[in-house]
Amino acid sequence: MFALALRNILFYKSRSLTTFFLTFFAALFFILYVALMDGSHNSMLQNSLKVYTGAIEVYKKGYREEGGNEYLLDDVGKIEEKLQSIPNIQAFTSRYETYGLLSFKERSSAAMIAGVDPQKEEQLSQLKEALFLGEYLKESDANCLYMGAELAKRLKVSISDEVSFIGSASDNSFAADIFKVCGLFQTGDYGFDGNWGFVAKNYFDTLMYSHDKASYVSIRLQNLEDVETTQEQILSALHNTKLEVLSWKELMHTMVEAMEVDSIFGYISITLFFVVIFFVIMIFTFLNLSARVREFGTLASIGLSRRNISKLLFYEMFILSSTALLLATPIAAATAYYFSLYPIVIEGMSETYKQYGIISDELPLSFDVFTIAWNVAVIYGLNFLSLLYPLRYINSFTPLEALRHV
Amino acid sequence: MFRLILSLAYKNAFLRRSRALLLIVMIAVSMSMMLALEGLYDGMTASMVEKTKRSDSGEVSIYAKEFRQERTIQENIKDAKKIQEELLLRKDVKSVSLRLQADGLCATAKKSSFATLIGIELEDEQGFGDFSEFLETGSLTLRGHKTVVGKELAKDLKLKIGSKVIFSTQDMSGEITAVALRVSAIVQTNNIALDKGTMYVNRELLRKLLQMPKNSATQIAIRSDNTRLAQELSAQYPDLDVKSFLALYPMMEQMQEITVIFNSITFFIVMLVVFIGIMGVTYVSVLERVREFGVMRSLGMPYSAIKSQILFEALFVAMVGYILGAFFGFSALYYLENYGLDLKEFADGLESFGYASVLYADMKYDYFITSFAAIFIASVLSVLLPLRRLRKMSVIEATKLQI
Repeated sequence: MFALALRNILFYKSRSLTTFFLTFFAALFFILYVALMDGSHNSMLQNSLKVYTGAIEVYKKGYREEGGNEYLLDDVGKIEEKLQSIPNIQAFTSRYETYGLLSFKERSSAAMIAGVDPQKEEQLSQLKEALFLGEYLKESDANCLYMGAELAKRLKVSISDEVSFIGSASDNSFAADIFKVCGLFQTGDYGFDGNWGFVAKNYFDTLMYSHDKASYVSIRLQNLEDVETTQEQILSALHNTKLEVLSWKELMHTMVEAMEVDSIFGYISITLFFVVIFFVIMIFTFLNLSARVREFGTLASIGLSRRNISKLLFYEMFILSSTALLLATPIAAATAYYFSLYPIVIEGMSETYKQYGIISDELPLSFDVFTIAWNVAVIYGLNFLSLLYPLRYINSFTPLEALRHV
Repeated sequence: MFRLILSLAYKNAFLRRSRALLLIVMIAVSMSMMLALEGLYDGMTASMVEKTKRSDSGEVSIYAKEFRQERTIQENIKDAKKIQEELLLRKDVKSVSLRLQADGLCATAKKSSFATLIGIELEDEQGFGDFSEFLETGSLTLRGHKTVVGKELAKDLKLKIGSKVIFSTQDMSGEITAVALRVSAIVQTNNIALDKGTMYVNRELLRKLLQMPKNSATQIAIRSDNTRLAQELSAQYPDLDVKSFLALYPMMEQMQEITVIFNSITFFIVMLVVFIGIMGVTYVSVLERVREFGVMRSLGMPYSAIKSQILFEALFVAMVGYILGAFFGFSALYYLENYGLDLKEFADGLESFGYASVLYADMKYDYFITSFAAIFIASVLSVLLPLRRLRKMSVIEATKLQI
């Protein structure tokens, strides 16, 4: 039966070539389209996670909704002690964040000032790599301010300049100090570079009366895939109903949702192509089979059952689809793999789309074997689906009708 | 003769019902889906552009030379009121809005955030961009110390109608100044920058707070249909920074271009595949009837008449597909244009990209014209190959052919 199917494929060249090429291009296009869509989404998420947001963050309930000093974490030392026993945690650090007003000469600007542990931040965020001018924070640094390049531009400050800070301490008292600009960073995230400044937490705790207090604890994981399991482990280790443990999916809920919407539109667009390709494959199969009605009548009259005829047609489609997919899949996979390592660069993209949090001109493709596998399965499924109506048409003839068919 | 050809073509076009039906369904489904998608994507971009113009830049905006770089109120337009009056005298200017804006810190008792306080005249803004249409909750008033807040900023600071907020900034002399405001309304403009970080107050209140001279403004926004207005105003006011909408929002131009490119590629690929489909059916249909055509030619029918018959057969099937596709496409577009696609479940995500949670399509008659032209061309091209095959055969060969 398989040999017969193969001979039929070689005999009915135009139908075979059309099915082959349509399947080939559909698979190639689908795999690369999904790889590009997933790749750009992953890149946006990873860039956001890399810059500052933790894979998991521990808050006192109400801090994110209500804010205010009464929702600061207390006994941070104890929380950190408990976190050490959780296996998937690679690093963690506590951060104290507060809004304040920075002034230099006649210029002032609101800024988010964070007290951070410089050494731990090296493992958790991209603060050190983002150094643009001057030097990164040191634990021993007293009033050193490591600030975003855009914020520095707005205040017209440069390295070694002194800026005044006014804010509110953790006990709601008035806090004011003079910071010396030690370094400037540039992550590419316009909002981050234009609004944030960092001070060594040791020093900032003295100024803000925030010893053993923090806004939250940020955690980096060894394996990001296990985020939900680790989240539960942390919750049970902390055993405190006043605390909440949030994963990046919740912390970056808006971005995750935006990507879901983008994916939905992507899949809707690609469905259009599939619908057309599906119909064309079906039409060519139908034309081919309707021209072979007498052949099927002969096969039936020499003893082939309807099931056998269906099997023959199934084999024909299987051979055609498999050949096209065997050729298209490695090409598409190799292309996706290559561009996952060496992303496409669109000059000026980050500048144009900085409002959307796009911080890189690189557009990588995602290479994921599982995704490629289901892409291929979809094409296979559609090809076999396109066989149903022609098959139904063929089966509607009795052997005698089929033999007499003109 | 022509009527005979038409009649023959019509009968033969639908003689093999199943294949004609498959082709018609393929054209109708793909075309209606394509029209709906095209309209939806165009509608999304057009709505974003329109709302950005209405809420901020208009078609042209004028700033003091260094304002956009420095973002300080010292860089203001001193005689803004006079310029407004001059602009309103022009026939090509529909409306003009003067605005003052200052960046600063917005704080409630528990939370703080960066914000821009924009001083406006509600009446001017209503004429400029139907400001009241942006209203989400509350009542649109800027009387006294009332403020209207962007939706995302309100969400971030947990502001409700009646909430009190303090806005701190620097005045003209560089001194820190602050004002207590009470939220009267929350607006959603779908302009991300405005929704995330803007509070509106009465322009005069902000002017006094910042100690700015009377009649000054940081932005003069203009609505106009004149596409050359930015160039004309640049020449008229060389000391000011005159920018067109697209110069202020280059991203929007890129988005529009990307939408056009995406729609064109989609259109081309879909029509290419449709062409392959029509060609397949026509080819088989012609080959099956070579003997029939041979007999017709031996009876004296000229080749040109057979050519026309085959062409009309392809056109009949394609046009039925087109009419159905246009009908379903029009219905889908009509629905999406009037009722929209409700994606409230993804509201946060959409709003972060500057889209509304209900997306409306844009119906352009061009869609139907270009689709008609493309399907017509695809039908005409699809008969070329079968006709070439037929032409190569002599009448005797064709009559004797066994398939």
